[in-house]
Amino acid sequence: MSGYHPDDMTLMNYAAGSCTIPESLAVAMHLCFCHDCRQHVKNLNHLGGALLETIKPASTDDDAFESLMASLEPHAQSEIAQVKMEPTPSEKITQHFTNPLLRYLPTSLADLPWQRQTKKISKYDLTSLINVKGFQVALQKINAGAKVPKHTHKGFEYTVILSGGFSDELGVYHEGDFIARDASHKHSPTALQNEDCICLTVLNAPLKFTGWYRVLNPFMAWH
Amino acid sequence: MTTKKAVSMNDSTATNDAPDWGALLARVAENDDKAAFRAIYQHFAPRIKAYAINQGFSQHAEVLVQEVMTSVWRNAGKYSESLASVSTWIFTITRNQRIDILRKLNRTRAEIVIETEELWQIPTEDTTICSIQNLSTEKFVKTAIDKLPEEQMIALRKVYYEGKTHEEVADELNIPLGTVKGRLRLSLQKLRVMFEDKEI
Repeated sequence: MSGYHPDDMTLMNYAAGSCTIPESLAVAMHLCFCHDCRQHVKNLNHLGGALLETIKPASTDDDAFESLMASLEPHAQSEIAQVKMEPTPSEKITQHFTNPLLRYLPTSLADLPWQRQTKKISKYDLTSLINVKGFQVALQKINAGAKVPKHTHKGFEYTVILSGGFSDELGVYHEGDFIARDASHKHSPTALQNEDCICLTVLNAPLKFTGWYRVLNPFMAWH
Repeated sequence: MTTKKAVSMNDSTATNDAPDWGALLARVAENDDKAAFRAIYQHFAPRIKAYAINQGFSQHAEVLVQEVMTSVWRNAGKYSESLASVSTWIFTITRNQRIDILRKLNRTRAEIVIETEELWQIPTEDTTICSIQNLSTEKFVKTAIDKLPEEQMIALRKVYYEGKTHEEVADELNIPLGTVKGRLRLSLQKLRVMFEDKEI
């Protein structure tokens, strides 16, 4: 069970389907780990169902039902195609929620062709895979005990820890934790000593390094 | 504890005069029952259309209705009462289809790689304990939203259902942005407390 969760507004936006694809990816990854948030999203879905019931209905086209009926196939035929759509058991991180990233990665997290950023920090960029303007999405790997240079964020950053953990000025985070940061935070995460930390980061503006490391800003497209 | 809940549930379903949507869906899945599907359509299509219009779909509103109802027909056999009521199930399909349509409209060149269904998953697991819990939660949610002060409910509905930003809600209601945020925060807090009390 993780200790840091998306706030209620973020979960509601997710359930309502009004957050962006990169944000929803971060929330969905957290849901893989967190039973409480899965439960809360389920409740918020019920809220959606209740709102659908109480909405003031709009009139539909008269012939819409008949033309829809004409386009539908009997069930015996379409069911065969559906069987293939089900995720295989190995694709499931828990029996309740499929890891949305897994089938889009070429190999397991451990074997990914990580791109080295510094001696102890590497990344696997997902920005082009997600392909939403204004967002940078990546998996980050910080070697056990290594420290990321101090930086602030221009926009916001969501981090979900997929394995290991890290600490910064504000806390200690473990597998499954969802951490939201915005422009007011200046931090330098340090991976925990015992294992490498792998996390998903979703950023809606470039990072800004502070202190001596600011010379890196023009060169280090960190995400 | 389960026995007690199950009894009260049976009582309320017996006195409930709304159609048994789950049974109608089963008839669609098993017998391609057109009359059953028509009943579902007549109830839900106008609601889905209203949702689409609220979300700013205007000329695509009917497209969303057709997509959702097609999906309801195809997936009728996958519906499980233990997971959600039919209205919640149809809401989740509607939400996902809406996102899908928007993604396709916004897409210029590149393929959509990650499916909407992967990011907003509609649960498929099935256990009996869940079943009792979910159905009672469902009814509970309906009573819970009745308990929220109207001003909070209006703000929540605009954000949740009409996809409005906080700024847009503030403009529409002609109240300060801080007030909108406060109402939303309070309503979500209250709902969470009510949900959590219920789960124990």
